[in-house]
Amino acid sequence: MSRLLDTMGTSFFRRGLAEAVLVGALAGLVGVHVLLRRLPFFIVTMSHATFPGVVLAGLAGVSLPLGGFGAGLVLVALILVLGRPRVVGDTTVTGVVLAGAFALGVVLASAGTSGSRDLTAYLVGSVLTVTAADVAVTVVVGIAVVATIALLHKELVVAAFDPTAAAAQGYHPVVLDGVVMVAVLAAMVVAIPAVGTLLVLALLVVPALTARLLTDRAVPAMVLASAAGAAAGAAGMVVSAAWPVAAGAAVALSSAAGFVVVFALRSAPRLLRPAPRGPGPAAPSR
Amino acid sequence: MLLEPFRQPYLRRALLQVALLGILGGVVGVHIVLRRLAFLTEAVQHAAFPGVALAFATGTSLLGGALVGAGVAVALTLALAARRRVDEDAALAVIIATFVALGVLVVSRRAGYQADLTARLFGRLAFVTVGQVAQTAVLGAVCALALAAVHKELVLLAFDRHGARALGYPVAQLDAVLYAAVALAVVGAVQVVGAVLVLAFLVTPAATARLLTDRIGPMIVIAAGVGALGGWLGLVVATEASVHHDVRLAAGATVVLVLTVLFGLAGVMRGMVLLTRRRVAP
Repeated sequence: MSRLLDTMGTSFFRRGLAEAVLVGALAGLVGVHVLLRRLPFFIVTMSHATFPGVVLAGLAGVSLPLGGFGAGLVLVALILVLGRPRVVGDTTVTGVVLAGAFALGVVLASAGTSGSRDLTAYLVGSVLTVTAADVAVTVVVGIAVVATIALLHKELVVAAFDPTAAAAQGYHPVVLDGVVMVAVLAAMVVAIPAVGTLLVLALLVVPALTARLLTDRAVPAMVLASAAGAAAGAAGMVVSAAWPVAAGAAVALSSAAGFVVVFALRSAPRLLRPAPRGPGPAAPSR
Repeated sequence: MLLEPFRQPYLRRALLQVALLGILGGVVGVHIVLRRLAFLTEAVQHAAFPGVALAFATGTSLLGGALVGAGVAVALTLALAARRRVDEDAALAVIIATFVALGVLVVSRRAGYQADLTARLFGRLAFVTVGQVAQTAVLGAVCALALAAVHKELVLLAFDRHGARALGYPVAQLDAVLYAAVALAVVGAVQVVGAVLVLAFLVTPAATARLLTDRIGPMIVIAAGVGALGGWLGLVVATEASVHHDVRLAAGATVVLVLTVLFGLAGVMRGMVLLTRRRVAP
């Protein structure tokens, strides 16, 4: 126990804790928009597609998150310009882009000198090595993202539920799509040092889905998701201080555990009473 | 120059492996593209990870671990997505996040896990063994037979789900067959070539073929051909670069890039055909 308290008193742990809580809160909030627009696969693609940018930035000696952000912007532009190709589905194009972009990153990394240690830090995060500057960047990016989402809240929600109506009211759906994607990208780039690209889903989707189980309303969902994300960040850090496990994985699993608990609590009453549920809605043909 | 590298036995094995994967990608991938299952494919390959990690840690069969992991993930996804508030994409995202975190957790308990993790993700195409090639061939044959047996029904399902249900086909069971085939293909391939390469083999050649034809039979053949061609060219490029130009390129990733380039070329070709036809509706 005293060893645990010793670990938790160190400055690198406090910085990591601050980073994990901030990133969790920000990602939870942005995640509500991810779910509203059915973007989870976009997140997976984006987290892989930032990879070549990160490798290039590493080779060129500039800031890694900046490289990831640049590569992500290229991808957002590509998706918005190509629009929705009708021949091969959205999902398929996204899959092709995902695999191609990640392979580009791997080829660049194998041709360059960056070893598998850097690669692993990028994949699963390395929250205990974040610097005070990283935390400051998270704060600044977080404020910018939250301000954007708050200012455009009404428009974003309308466009998510009824793009046609939003267009009829004179909003530009492509611009709004772009705003959401860039906000998601920004939240992801600051989350990657903490949880890594493989686990960023755990903060960008899972807390929002936990909140979604509890409410149908957008603003309460954002508050709940933010709280769930921050709690997952804190819990994961404490777990990783107590037992020798990877911090990023502990944060991701805490987030998943929160979802499982809420899911069980929501399901329990339903299982106990003989609910006369009709035949469930037909699965959409995909 | 295109055949020269394959005098080496290990490169012959790699070539055989990518050719088999190409064919598997053609057979399974066409269904993945028609049913838009790319995200499921991505999820299954991640979901196999903790199973493999546990099997590795306990010294049991890696293939068995991967199959158990993937099977649990598919079942959980179907169960979660049946809920009104949870759509299938969100369910898949939760599954990926949880299973990858579990896998990282298991692996991170051992020293020197970084190399394991990279091999697991990117594969080691140059170190493929005869046993692994045989394993891919067997799994591929099982997938192909299962899909061929219900081919007509699956195609109907892809284009007219409600029609298929009205005609009395067992839609849920057919879905289960398809999902199981995808899981089997992913698991078989992921052992050998790494997670990233699998998605490329299962989705990219089929998407390329979809750009070139509207008919299912030719699509399967073209997809298999594109997959095998990409594998061959990728291996040639990777060995040429490392032998003659002293640039080490990861073989698996080079193959994926070649496949992506072929997809891009097909897209350009289709665009030119459409332009000359004065935009006939596809």
